[in-house]
Amino acid sequence: MTIGETSLPTATAKRPSPLMRLTHPRVYCSLAALALLLLIPLVSGSPFVVHVFVTICVFAALSTAWNIVGGYAGQLSLGHMVFYGIGGYTTALLIQHFSLSPWLGMCVGAALAALVGVGIGYPCFRLRGPFFSLATIAFLEVVRLLAIHFNGVTGGSAGLIVPLKLGWTWMIFREKINYLYIAFGLLLLCVAVSYVIRSSRLGYYLTAVRERDAAALAAGVNNTNVKLKAIAVSAALTAMVGAFHAMYMTFLEPATMFSLSTSIEVAMFSLIGGLGTVAGPLLGTVLVVPLAELARGWLGSAANGLHGFVYGSVLVLITLTLPGGLVGTFGKRFARLIDALPGGGVRVPDRAAPEPAAITGTPGEPVLVADDLVKTFGGLVATDHVSLTLRRGEILGVIGPNGAGKTTVFNQLSGFLAPNSGTVSIVGRNGARATPTTPDAFARLGIGRTFQIVQPFGKLSVLENIMIGAFLRHAGVEDARAAALRVARLVGLEDVKDVEAGTLPIGGLKRLEVARTLATEPTILLLDEVMAGQSQADTQRMVQLIRTIRDHGVTVIAIEHNMQAIMSLSDRIAVIDSGRLIAEGKPQDVVRDRRVIEAYLGEDFVDAQGL
Amino acid sequence: MDIFIQLVINGILLGSMYAIISVGLTLIFGIVRVVNFAHGEFLMVGMYGAYLLAAKFGLHPYVSAIPIVLLLFALGAIVQRFIIQPLLSADEHIQIFATVGLSTALMNLALMVFGADLYSVPPSAVQHSIALGGFTLVIGQVVMFFCALALVAGLHLFMQATPLGRAIRATAQNRNAALLMGVRVDRIYVIAFGLGAACVGLASALVMPLYPVSPTIGTYFVLTAFVVVVLGGMRSMYGAFFGALIIGVVDSLSGYYIAPDLKEVVYFALFILILIFKPTGLFGLGRGTE
Amino acid sequence: MRKIARAALAAAVVLGASQLAGLSPAAAQQNIKFGALYPFSGGLALLGDESFRGLEIAVEERNAAGGINGKPITLVKGDAVDPNQAVGEARRLTSVDNVSAIFGTYSSSLSLAATQVAELAGVPYFELGAVSDPITERGFKYVFRTNATAKDFSVRMVDSVAEAIAPAQGKQPGELKIGIIYEDSLYGQTMSGYQKARAQEKKLNVVETLPYSAKSVDLTPVILRLKSANVDVVLQTSYQNDTVLFFRQMKDQGFKPKAVIGAGGGYSLRDTMQAVGPENMEGALDVDFTQYRTNPKAAPGIEQFVTKYKAKYGTDPRSGHSLANYMGAKVFFDAIAAAKTLSADAIRAEVMKVDLPVGSTATGWGAKFSEQGQNTRALPFLMQWQNGDLVTVFPAEAAVAKMKVGVGTN
Repeated sequence: MTIGETSLPTATAKRPSPLMRLTHPRVYCSLAALALLLLIPLVSGSPFVVHVFVTICVFAALSTAWNIVGGYAGQLSLGHMVFYGIGGYTTALLIQHFSLSPWLGMCVGAALAALVGVGIGYPCFRLRGPFFSLATIAFLEVVRLLAIHFNGVTGGSAGLIVPLKLGWTWMIFREKINYLYIAFGLLLLCVAVSYVIRSSRLGYYLTAVRERDAAALAAGVNNTNVKLKAIAVSAALTAMVGAFHAMYMTFLEPATMFSLSTSIEVAMFSLIGGLGTVAGPLLGTVLVVPLAELARGWLGSAANGLHGFVYGSVLVLITLTLPGGLVGTFGKRFARLIDALPGGGVRVPDRAAPEPAAITGTPGEPVLVADDLVKTFGGLVATDHVSLTLRRGEILGVIGPNGAGKTTVFNQLSGFLAPNSGTVSIVGRNGARATPTTPDAFARLGIGRTFQIVQPFGKLSVLENIMIGAFLRHAGVEDARAAALRVARLVGLEDVKDVEAGTLPIGGLKRLEVARTLATEPTILLLDEVMAGQSQADTQRMVQLIRTIRDHGVTVIAIEHNMQAIMSLSDRIAVIDSGRLIAEGKPQDVVRDRRVIEAYLGEDFVDAQGL
Repeated sequence: MDIFIQLVINGILLGSMYAIISVGLTLIFGIVRVVNFAHGEFLMVGMYGAYLLAAKFGLHPYVSAIPIVLLLFALGAIVQRFIIQPLLSADEHIQIFATVGLSTALMNLALMVFGADLYSVPPSAVQHSIALGGFTLVIGQVVMFFCALALVAGLHLFMQATPLGRAIRATAQNRNAALLMGVRVDRIYVIAFGLGAACVGLASALVMPLYPVSPTIGTYFVLTAFVVVVLGGMRSMYGAFFGALIIGVVDSLSGYYIAPDLKEVVYFALFILILIFKPTGLFGLGRGTE
Repeated sequence: MRKIARAALAAAVVLGASQLAGLSPAAAQQNIKFGALYPFSGGLALLGDESFRGLEIAVEERNAAGGINGKPITLVKGDAVDPNQAVGEARRLTSVDNVSAIFGTYSSSLSLAATQVAELAGVPYFELGAVSDPITERGFKYVFRTNATAKDFSVRMVDSVAEAIAPAQGKQPGELKIGIIYEDSLYGQTMSGYQKARAQEKKLNVVETLPYSAKSVDLTPVILRLKSANVDVVLQTSYQNDTVLFFRQMKDQGFKPKAVIGAGGGYSLRDTMQAVGPENMEGALDVDFTQYRTNPKAAPGIEQFVTKYKAKYGTDPRSGHSLANYMGAKVFFDAIAAAKTLSADAIRAEVMKVDLPVGSTATGWGAKFSEQGQNTRALPFLMQWQNGDLVTVFPAEAAVAKMKVGVGTN
């Protein structure tokens, strides 16, 4: 899809060497294209062309940095200029008061912006869609108004003028080309950071969180944490660009440093190029900025507002016709063309999957103890004093009529719901007993769960879906890929591993649920109706699979409506009705229990049968 | 004390203007579930309409309210049908971009057509103020206050008592269920968006005698309107109404007692705090951020 | 495709640029090219364009009289919407179009950004309308300004309180309670800063200093603060919207100061008066660039300018900005003509020799430049709205009417 997903040739080395990477056409073509940004103004020698290219580099860098939050994490910040302004003002004020070189000021500004980013992100990430955007706009407005109000510090609306001290130390030059070198360097930095994130665990996690936050949590992803990392990185990069741009303009005022319309423009470049892709923001900027500059020259004075009108209309048209942006729409076709060049198309040979950590511990010891769980929703008691003990190595089936509260219990066993009272304690992978509170903490300790209503990351491939799980134990992308491939084989998804997950039939999606969960290498597996919607043959395979999993030492607890399957599979059965645990025991005992039959078939039936 | 009461009166009257604007925004968000970032520009379009009718035909904006409301209903319906509807199943951020783009396009279109100049309608009696027990009230703002009340009451009756209103409420509560019951959801959305825009049309006719119109006039009001909508719980018309009055009073009091240039800071801070700590709005009338 | 598109675009940029440059050599032989850098689009477009008209008339007049040393002047427009654009357009003018000098700019933040470029490029920059003081306080060699600065305006506003208003009210200056209010962007903050400083110098009694946002839709808190402090004289620095709002709401809230002085901006525009209503604007004072109801004896050429303006654009001038730009352009054309060559240093030497007494130009200003390039003889006048007209009332030589006491219908 993007140059970010390049898979590169490798022989035996753990990571492909940089030299090897260079021979891949995606790499050398990208570098060549980037180099044009430097070469064209160098060749032309005209200060105006240099200015246009500095502007391109600055906006492309801003847009690339924005894309880390706006695209990868899907958090549409429309107040990103807050960080740009912080970078600019920090640098300028440090020069003014402490004669500190802007290079240092840039780093201080970046650190400050990262802090502010975390400060904004922490409370605001719980807001969805437009409300997050509105909150970021509100932050931008507040900061701008404060910058105006406290004019003793910032110079207020009258602005700050950067003293014209020339030279590399002060980042101010008579030779304009030097500005281009710095702007280009910053752009390279942003693109490199963006590329590294995209092709690392963090990038996959961000996509996962954007697509399905519940499934990401179940895969052990600390949702807030990864988003905070993204905004911190994005804010820091934005601030660095802001610091440079302030030196370039040599004049700072709140209206331009904290501008809402620039914030929107930066986001727009990403959208046009392709949200969430590495090359998209750069491409969008490279297309739009020169057009805007030229249009302004030709039309600007003749037609007031025309270019703004065109901007707005293009934005609407893009959303209607190319919501994936240029890269999202044409990227794959283009990547195939590129791969046809010399050196292209070489895939990584499959490597051996790292061995999963062996599960130790005494069979039969309690690994999960739920003690007296109570959960109410308003007046409804969904879980009514349920206590359960799960023993190592067993398969516990949980049955009960629809709406009995089985999934609610599961949600408490995996941290998705906090019980009103009662505790859940588990034996972690290291053998110590723990009582985690968040779903991702449960996952990290070795609880894997599937969802009754499947939660695939629709836009990722099947293998990538499984990798999201595998990342929990294998931080490296190649290790995770290999581990995911092993799980895909085990579950029977290998032949569809490159298919977009959203297109799988329901049976496939159910198996994908199991696969993603298995990839987290759980010690305790919570399966929520994984056999629903499966064919007879698939059900048999699933039963077989669950047995295999158990044979590897995993303890399994499964909610199931398929009686035949669950009875043959389970060592023990627990029956839940109306939120209460009404029976527990060996399958053959449970099916004869009067209360169980009552629960399933009603009292009348029981009486009529004379049981 | 007199000053305090006068400030509160001014705040409530100012709030009633925010109320009329915000009710439309709430309606659109509550039913279509789209945040209309171009709402301020709808106001601007309405105001230019009122200005043109006054300049060409000498109509008082209160008279031109009727054609303006119809015009804005049509504009809203068109926007819903041709821009929002195709994007209903798209990601939220695509919808945001679409309305942000629409906002930019409309604002600059106005700049192309009318230039950056301010236009105002000829002075009329509604700009005058009346004295009431030592306090002054601007007639135009008093009219707005009663119009806001009438608008909320009228919409309430419409939603409760007419078949169309019930269909709209059903759609707002559960789109799929409404669909199953034979409600033509797409049409309901077009009508709802039109209604929301029509409310802004009414607002623009009422605002026009008091404020001159320029291409950027929408931005003066729209951020405040967003604050109001969040304060009111995002989907509740009544919440928006009271939220608007509260913001009006906060605006007025903080401008006097804190500093005039920091009053936006005060209510933006309020906005952020409510979003974060009480996403169901000040009165708990909304259903959070889902 | 990505690469190709990028390369094609880049090529287009280079081609476009070189075409622009390619047009010039032939023309440059006969013509003198000057850049005209103003905000022609965006929010500042109205007065940016008005400023440009003054320059345009000055150029036509000069060309009709044979140009500069026989060479006609051509203007190359640059559209500066924001500081980044100002930098870009200044770069284009100085490098692609190779203009001999730049004239501009109306807006101070645009000027501050563009002058940095011109100074580093060694191209003379003639500022004809931006008022921010730092433009000519940075020790630049080739930046010159004919118009008065924010400080000059503020000093005139404060001094008017002591010299004109207090005597008219029959009071000592120190007895009057002064309120300073201003919109909180560059313009208002700069002006109010100098106003406060000057008031302190003159030992005047400032009781309220209130900034507000020009986008505000409600100024009643500001007005009630002034009212409860019993302010006698209001000094306001404002754009158009907020001026209208202030006058309307001042009336609604029953606030009746003895005098209101505006600092140009919204106060000078006829639209403002019409929106407020002539009876409510009656008596409002205004310190600004020279306006058209000024005694022609003190401003020789002002009537001819208005005639030319009407003939060319078909309307009355929309504000005094065109006149100020016209006057400034004429002064600099003369200096450039005297310099014989177009080298920046020669031009600077001639600009430094300019010595025009007060009352000898169309704005009524004189011209004598400080080492920093600032005209020390640009004096803003005090004007007043009377019967729907903005007439000059102070100083006496330029006045066409006597100052009235009171504001609005009070």
